[in-house]
Amino acid sequence: MTVGGPAVTAGGPAVTAGPVLAVSEVTVRFGGVVAVRDASLELREKEVVGLIGPNGAGKSSLIGALGGQIPVTRGRVLLGGADITAAPPHRRARLGLCRTFQLTSTFDDLTVFENLLVAALGADGSRLRSSLAGGRARQARVAAAMDSVWDRLTEFDMAEVANLYGSELSGGQRRLVEIMRCLMRSPRVLLLDEPMVGVAPHLVERIQGECQRIRDSGVSIIIVEHALEVVQAICDRVVVMASGSVVAQATYAEAMSSGAVREAYFA
Amino acid sequence: MSFYISTLLVYFFVDALLAWALNMQFGWGGIPNFALIMFQAAGAYAAAVVSLGPDTGAGAFQRYVFGSSLPFPLPLVVATLAGGLLALIVGSFSLRRIRRDYQAAILLIVSLIVTGLVTNVVGLVNGSNGLTGVPRPLSGVLSRLTYDGYQWAYAAWTAVIAAAVYLLVARLGSSPWGRALRAVRDNEDAAATIGLNPVSLRLQAFVIGGMICGLSGGLLAEFLASWSPAAWGYAETFAVFTAIILGGVGNTWGVVLGTLLVQVIFLQVPTFLPQVGYTGLIDALQWVLIGSLWLVCLAIRPRGLIPARRPVVSREARR
Amino acid sequence: MLFIQALGFGVITASLIAIGAMGFTIQFGLTNVLNISYAGIMTAGAFAAFIAEELHLPLVLGVVLALTVGAGVTWLLGRTLFAFFARRGAGLFEMVMVTLAVNLILQFGIDAASREQIYRFAFPQGTSLHGGPFTVTVTQLVLIVVAVAVFAGLELLLRRTRLGKALRAMAAEPRLARTCGIPTGRIVNVVWLLSGALAGLAGLAYVINSLSIDASVGTGFLPLVLAAAILGRAGSTRGAVLAALALGVVTEEVAAFGGAAYGSVAGFGILALVLLTRPAAVAGQAAGKVEVTV
Repeated sequence: MTVGGPAVTAGGPAVTAGPVLAVSEVTVRFGGVVAVRDASLELREKEVVGLIGPNGAGKSSLIGALGGQIPVTRGRVLLGGADITAAPPHRRARLGLCRTFQLTSTFDDLTVFENLLVAALGADGSRLRSSLAGGRARQARVAAAMDSVWDRLTEFDMAEVANLYGSELSGGQRRLVEIMRCLMRSPRVLLLDEPMVGVAPHLVERIQGECQRIRDSGVSIIIVEHALEVVQAICDRVVVMASGSVVAQATYAEAMSSGAVREAYFA
Repeated sequence: MSFYISTLLVYFFVDALLAWALNMQFGWGGIPNFALIMFQAAGAYAAAVVSLGPDTGAGAFQRYVFGSSLPFPLPLVVATLAGGLLALIVGSFSLRRIRRDYQAAILLIVSLIVTGLVTNVVGLVNGSNGLTGVPRPLSGVLSRLTYDGYQWAYAAWTAVIAAAVYLLVARLGSSPWGRALRAVRDNEDAAATIGLNPVSLRLQAFVIGGMICGLSGGLLAEFLASWSPAAWGYAETFAVFTAIILGGVGNTWGVVLGTLLVQVIFLQVPTFLPQVGYTGLIDALQWVLIGSLWLVCLAIRPRGLIPARRPVVSREARR
Repeated sequence: MLFIQALGFGVITASLIAIGAMGFTIQFGLTNVLNISYAGIMTAGAFAAFIAEELHLPLVLGVVLALTVGAGVTWLLGRTLFAFFARRGAGLFEMVMVTLAVNLILQFGIDAASREQIYRFAFPQGTSLHGGPFTVTVTQLVLIVVAVAVFAGLELLLRRTRLGKALRAMAAEPRLARTCGIPTGRIVNVVWLLSGALAGLAGLAYVINSLSIDASVGTGFLPLVLAAAILGRAGSTRGAVLAALALGVVTEEVAAFGGAAYGSVAGFGILALVLLTRPAAVAGQAAGKVEVTV
C-alpha cells in the first residue's frame, strides 16, 4: 500500500505497456480555491478503482479534470500515453475516455434508442456532409450502428424501453442508459461520478453487476462512490482523497485498516 | 382578389423558410435566436444592392454599396450567402457555452445594434429610408405577363424554393447530424463526452439557418421591390417564434401550420381588411395579439398543435 | 473640452441609468429572471406622468402616478402571470420568453393607445446653471439628486432594516430563507412594488431629460439599464450605480465624438460584452442550477 500517491511509473502487469490512464501531480484551482492538490494515480487495464473520501475532498473536481469539464491548473493527464491535459471533452471521447455525471445526463427529449444511436454513430457518423449527401455507405453505417444498439439493449435487458424518451424513465433506468451510451463508444476508460445516487436498491445491485461485466470486457473504470459497500464489492483498488489530496492508494481492506485513512475521513 | 391571394402565398412561403430556419436553430439546436429577422434583412439588402444599378453618389436619391446589376438568379445566391456569412460572424462569438437566457439577450442586443448601425450609416443601405426600385427578377423576359400573371409566377417560384428547402430541412432533421444536434441541445456535457463537438454543431445549424433566412429575405425584397428597417424591427422575430411555438417546435410540418395560422391568417389578412379606428391601429394591436397568443401557447400547449413526433423503432421492422 | 463637457452629460445620463438599474437589480437579484417587460413598465410610468401633465395636474401628482403605475403593474404581473409560469416549473429561459411576450403587449398596447405618435414632453427645465465647463439645468441637477437619494434610500433599506437583510438573505439562498422562517411571500411583494416604482421613476426621468415620449422609450433605454445591472452584479445596488456611471460616461463620450446613434451602439456593445464574459453566464448544466424565485 502506498500513502500519499505514487510517482508515475509504468508499473502493473507485464503484459501491458503501461497504465491506461496516468494522472501526474494534477492541481485544480478555481475561484481561488484549490480543489485538487498534486493528485497522482494510475489506472491499469481491466480494473475498477474506487475514488472515495469525505465530502469536499475534491473527488468530483478530479473527475471533472479527467473528463475535461474542469481545466487543469498544473500537472498532466495521459490516456494510453497520449497527453490529454488540455484536450476538450469531445477529443478525449474520441481517444477512448467517457464519463457519467452526478446528475444523470440522458438526452431527455431523445428516445433511449436515439440516446444510444447518437453515441454509436459518434462524431464521425454524424457529419453534416454525410447526412446531406448520404448514399449507400452511409446507410450501411447507420444500419450497423442500429444493430449494435439493439445488441446492447438486449445485453442489458432494456429492449422494451427503447422507444421511451429519456424523461420518461426512472432514475435507475436513466443511469443505465447513461452507462450504456458510454459503452457504445467502446471506451478504454469509463469515469462514473456517483452513479448510484437516487437509484432504487435492486438497480444498484444490477449496476454493480454491470460494472464488473464491463471491467471483464476490457474497460477500466474509476468510480466515485460514497456507499462503501458498493466500493468493497466491485473495486479492485481504492484511491482515498481528503482536502484535495490523494491520501492513500490500496485495496479496500488495506485502506480501511489504515490509520491515515481513518484520520482523513474523521478529521 | 387574385392579387391578394398570390401576395399571401408569397408571404406564406417566405415565412415558412424563416420558420424552418428557426426550427433548426431553436427547435433542434436549442439556440434562442432572438435576432432571426436580422438574417432575413441581410439577405434582403444583399439581393437589393447587387441587383440595383450603381447609386449616383452623394446627393443621390438613395445611397448604398455595390450596385452590381446582377441578373436573376444571382442576387438570390448572394442573399443566401449573406445570411450565412452574418450567421458565421455572429455565431462565432455568441454560440459558446452560455446560459440560454443570457444568450437570448445577447442575440437580441446584437439585432438592435445592427438596426442602429444600418439606420445611421446612410451610405450602407440608405439608412432608415431603405431601398426602392429593386428590379423584379426576369421582368424583361416575362414582360408579356400581366401584373397579375407575374405575381402568380412569383408565387410559383417561391413555392418551388420552399419545396427544395423543405427537402433539405426534412432530410437534415431525420439524419444523424440532426440527431447529434438535438443531443447537444438536450445536454451539452453528455454530448461532448460521447465525442460530439457542441460548438461546431451549433455553428453549423446557425449558419444553415442563416442561409435559409438570407434566401427568404432575397425572395421577399425582390417581390416587394424594396426593403427598409421598418420591415425588420426586433418584434418581427417574435412572430416567427409564436408561429413555431403554436405549430409545434421541432416538427417540420408543425411549424408550417404555425406559419399559416400566425403569419398568414393572423398577421396578414387584417391588413387587407378595411381600416378600423385610426390608421395603424390594427398594426399596433397585431403585436399585442401576437404577445397574447404567445403567452396562451406557452401556458396551455407549449408543445404546439403538431408536436415533434416520437421516432418509434422496432427490431422486427428492420428485417 | 468636448471631452469634459461630455463627462457632465455622462453624469446626468448615469443618474437616469442608475435609477433604472437599481430597480432592475433588486428584482433580478431575487428572481434571477431577465425581465424584459421592465422596459414596458418604464414606458408606462412615463406615460402616466405625461397624461397627468396633459391634464394639467400638479407636477407632484405626475411623479406619484409614475411610481404608482410602475409599482402596480409590476406587482400585478409578478403575482399573476410570472407566478403562474414559475409554479409550472418554467426555467430561466422560458421566463424570459414570457417577459418578452408581456413587453410586446405593453409596448404595442401603449403604442396603439398613443396613436403611434411621438409627443413632446413639456417638463419645466429650470434655469441653466454654469459651473466651469459644465452647463446644466436645474431639472437635470434635480435628477442627479434624485438618483443619489434613491441610492441612499436603498442602502438604508437593504442594510439597516430587517426587511432589507431578509431580502438579501433570500436573494442569496432562497430555499434556505424559506425554511428559516423569513416571510418570503411578503418580501417578493415588496420587491415587485419597489422595483416597479423605480422602473416608473426611471422612465419618467428619462423622458424628462429627453423632452420627448413615445411607446418605444422603455425598450430603447433597457439595454443600458440591463448592462448596468448585470455589470454591477445582480442584486448589488452599489455595483449598479458604479456601472451606471461608467456606462453613462462612455456612451456620452462616444456620442460626443461620433454622433448620438453611436452612443447607444456603444452601450449595446458593452452589454453584449458583459453578458458574454460574466462568469455567471458561462455556468452550464454541470454547475449549480440557478432557480427562478417569484
